[in-house]
Amino acid sequence: MTADAPALGVVETGEVGQPTIIAEGHVARGISNPILGMLLFITSEVMFFAGLFAAYFSTRAGNHPWPPKQFDSILNPLSLILVATVILITSSFTCQFAVWSIRRGDRTGFIRNISVTFVLGIVFLLLQAYDYSLLFGEGMTLGSGPFGTTYFTLTGFHGAHVFGGVLMLGVILYRGMAGQFSSRHHDAVEAVSLYWHFVDVVWIILFSVLYLV
Amino acid sequence: MATHALAPATTAYRPGLYEWLTTTDHKKIGIMYVINSFLFFLIGGFFALGVRAELAQPGLQIFTDEHVYNEFFSIHATVMIFLFIIPILAGLGNYIVPLMIGAPDMAFPRVNALSFWMLPLAGLLLLSGFLTQGGAAASGWTSYPPLSEVGPTKSPGPGEDLWIVAIVLIGTSSILGGINFLVTIFKMRAPGMTLFRMPIMVWTMLVTSVLVVMATPVITSALVMLFIDRNYGGHFFDPFGGGNAVLYQNIFWFYSHPAVYVMVLPAMGIVSEVLPVFSRKPLFGYKAFIFATAGIGALGFSVWAHHMFTTGSVFLPFFSLMTFLIAVPTGVKMFNWVATIFRGKLSFSTPFIFAIGFLTMFLIGGINGAFSAAVPVDFALHDTYFVVAHLHYVLFGGSVFGVFAGLYYWFPKMSGRMLDETLGKVHFVLMFVGFNLTFFPMHMLGLQGMPRRIADYASNAGWNDWNLLASIGGFIIGISILPFIWNVFISLRNGKVAGDDPWEGNTLEWATSSPPPPYNFDRLPEIRSERPVFDARHGRLTPHDEMGPA
Amino acid sequence: MSSTPRKRLAPEAILAAVVVILLAVLVPLVVYSGAGSSLFPPTAVTTQAKGTRGLYDIVFALAIAIFVAVEGVIIWSVIRYRRRPGDNELPPQTHGNNLIEIVWTLIPTVIVLYLFAISWNTLNTVDAVSSSPDMRVHAVAAQFQWKFEYLDNNGKVIATQTEPDAAKGGGLAVPVGKNVLVTLDSPDVIHAFYVPKFLFKRDVVPGQTNRFQFTVDATEATDGHPNVFGGQCAELCGTGHRTMLFNVIAMSPGDFDTWLQALIAKNNATPPPAPSGAPAFALTAHNVAFDKTSLDVQAGQPFVIDFKNTDAGTPHDVDIRQSDKTTVVQDQPVTEGGAESTYTYNALQPGTYVFICSIHPTLMSGTLTVH
Repeated sequence: MTADAPALGVVETGEVGQPTIIAEGHVARGISNPILGMLLFITSEVMFFAGLFAAYFSTRAGNHPWPPKQFDSILNPLSLILVATVILITSSFTCQFAVWSIRRGDRTGFIRNISVTFVLGIVFLLLQAYDYSLLFGEGMTLGSGPFGTTYFTLTGFHGAHVFGGVLMLGVILYRGMAGQFSSRHHDAVEAVSLYWHFVDVVWIILFSVLYLV
Repeated sequence: MATHALAPATTAYRPGLYEWLTTTDHKKIGIMYVINSFLFFLIGGFFALGVRAELAQPGLQIFTDEHVYNEFFSIHATVMIFLFIIPILAGLGNYIVPLMIGAPDMAFPRVNALSFWMLPLAGLLLLSGFLTQGGAAASGWTSYPPLSEVGPTKSPGPGEDLWIVAIVLIGTSSILGGINFLVTIFKMRAPGMTLFRMPIMVWTMLVTSVLVVMATPVITSALVMLFIDRNYGGHFFDPFGGGNAVLYQNIFWFYSHPAVYVMVLPAMGIVSEVLPVFSRKPLFGYKAFIFATAGIGALGFSVWAHHMFTTGSVFLPFFSLMTFLIAVPTGVKMFNWVATIFRGKLSFSTPFIFAIGFLTMFLIGGINGAFSAAVPVDFALHDTYFVVAHLHYVLFGGSVFGVFAGLYYWFPKMSGRMLDETLGKVHFVLMFVGFNLTFFPMHMLGLQGMPRRIADYASNAGWNDWNLLASIGGFIIGISILPFIWNVFISLRNGKVAGDDPWEGNTLEWATSSPPPPYNFDRLPEIRSERPVFDARHGRLTPHDEMGPA
Repeated sequence: MSSTPRKRLAPEAILAAVVVILLAVLVPLVVYSGAGSSLFPPTAVTTQAKGTRGLYDIVFALAIAIFVAVEGVIIWSVIRYRRRPGDNELPPQTHGNNLIEIVWTLIPTVIVLYLFAISWNTLNTVDAVSSSPDMRVHAVAAQFQWKFEYLDNNGKVIATQTEPDAAKGGGLAVPVGKNVLVTLDSPDVIHAFYVPKFLFKRDVVPGQTNRFQFTVDATEATDGHPNVFGGQCAELCGTGHRTMLFNVIAMSPGDFDTWLQALIAKNNATPPPAPSGAPAFALTAHNVAFDKTSLDVQAGQPFVIDFKNTDAGTPHDVDIRQSDKTTVVQDQPVTEGGAESTYTYNALQPGTYVFICSIHPTLMSGTLTVH
């Protein structure tokens, strides 16, 4: 015989870390839907960058010398770009502090840390833009041969992803200030922080590949 | 029977067209996917008929400007792949997956709506190329550089750029859909529905979604790089500027090979639902089927360069071996289907007939694919009409027949009405005959040396008769669509009322009304096997009660 | 009527058996008869092609066997197991059978590994490139015409053939029984060198020099009896893709030597001087376009066009056709990219004609008015 349908009733929330009973017979287990969705989205973005990196390595292997003579020491790791790198890595830390804050229910701490992350993200973008202008001034552009094309494509798409991340940080900053997050309900914060860490990791790899190797 | 149901959502319904434009209900979105994709099927078919009309006889009769001919076959394939077959399977999946797992909707309903609405927009952008100065994209659906780059004898106009933007939009729509499916399937199954009790349709959508999420971004990167080459002075694929033309092919096919499994696995899922119901026995080898599907998904990432055997830049033995190996799980699935109908009690309703059409035609497509896996034979057959025969046997004889099986099978659930059986059979016979008449001769044409993508051929090459037959077949396919369209039209108005479960189905969608209420289920039967509705109908409580004669 | 309780052959079983047996007999019969000859590639004319053909025959035999077997079981089932009206009993609910499933996984695995092994083996023959070929040819594929250069052992060009069509006196001539190395280059887009009777094609990729070897069977040509094979570009290369045809002409070694000498002489011959007093017009091709859209000439008098082709790597010519752009009035030989030619034209009747590049007819044409 088929059982009666489960009674739909009042939502009862459990403590943090405990299963949440949404309705009799339905239990929310493990990772939440939005966070799983964000992880899958990040997977797809990883594959996008994989395609770009594959093209980079293939292009680099087919062109000698690399960098070409005219751009021999134009990409200097010990320059403004290092400052930008440190800023982005720092922003990952402040982002994680924000996550820990909201998990504890510390709304003030959350807003403070997210604001710092947000500002650091914008600073990174500004520094990147300024660095671009310096490179343009020295004659390196999207169209100046494979070296320029690959550099600006990779860093450009990374920058676009940082910009998207900054927008998302802005949204959760706004929502945080509007009091929409609590220790029990802050899926959006977790998801955005995962994305932000992803953006940072991509930059570390990019920086190493473009500037150090 | 009383349930403590939530207050019905009917008062929140918006009227008529506005409801359809703003809905986030997976059932309505699924139906819109199907309708939109079917429209593009007709559009893609129109371009195909243009090609066949030109090739029916030697001499340039219609396309005195060969560039327009190149646009026709390029847009034909692009529309069929990206605007018809992939979305219609995603749409059928969208409709049926939440129902099959006992969920009230997809995980992200608003993203679901966004995914859909990107498609008609992308289609318009793609087709708008015809209105531009240089015409639509004309370098094939594969768009290889350097031909797809900028230059007077290459692809100078905006048509190619519109093509790029359209595909990137469609890819994004696909990826968002894939994420939606994965979260829905992993997180929203009804109690009792373990992974190994899910219908095969859900499993194939799962594997398909993994392929979509992991492979589609790669073609986005290839197209983005092509766009940069075309518009920003880039040199990724320009061999005379430090780039590499074959690099594009590698990145392109890394997506486009898994894409063919995206185009066929859900159709295989449909066949795996239809055959058991109309044979009145379970799918033979359910678990093996799942492993075979996962195996195809995984192996599918390792064979891409078999599209590039003649480039002289490929490690041939590896890709040949992997291509041969992927025939094994595919064969296993074939045998599972045949063993399902073997010793069954078969009802020849239209869904079942189309599923048998799938079996018989996909087999041919799989067999002729094996020829191309043998590298020296591929040296003879690559870029000839033999490959056109192969791809149409798997994609049309396979996927399209599977799609029609699914449409005839689930139309009653979606609309509450039965489709007419006689019209369905007329549709099948015409389509089956037309399909074989069109594509079987292409084996001969390819073997005799006719290359692909040519607007005309020498009248003394010996290709005239096969081409004429193929063109006649093409127009028969076109005619065969008419009974289907007529059937849908009259059945929506006047078809026999379907009831909850007109086919004596196995899976959860048949445990609710036709069409289902907005929240899908008032109550669910107990889920103890992959056939919960069958179990409920036959009063079974454990999965392996055997009934009937030994 | 339902079947009797004792085991008696159901009528469906008999019908199904008949149909399947017919299938199993007729299909092989038809495909291996004359009617099925178009299911096989054309007769192989090179040693490599013969290897490929042998491989094809094995794959084909397996294909027919699998086709008949699997379609046979499907057709058997579809006829034999039709549900009788009113029969509501469930058939045996077989979920699977581990032994059968293992067997039908292992057997296909063995079959595909076998196919892989024999195809890899054949590939090594077909793709073999020896370091001392008997002859070297450099084939250049441009949009939309083939050019063939004959090279000496050091790779230096000794003769050039810009006419790919044997009917027009051109084509890629090769001696039979000799190992020919072909290197492939393109100055523009990807093309493919395809000769159906070689059962072979290889892409011509710009920026990359592909190479392959072939030996035309010695029986394919004898003294005074050459053999012409058709070839065609097999990779979409633009609007002229369907016109990129060429011929391979197999000749006896003696005939080939004579032919090659004649080609060298033709390459070296000084072109005949333009008729004195003939008016000369300057015409340039740049970016796949003529620099003039119209020319005016006097009727009844020969005239000359001093043609300059500035498109590196792209061949052009300047033919005269009727205003329908199709009916040929006078053909001219090709001018290679970067080269110049003096084209002499016969006297024309008054009227309106076109001057047109036969390789890029849609992009390069103009009006020729003859007064």
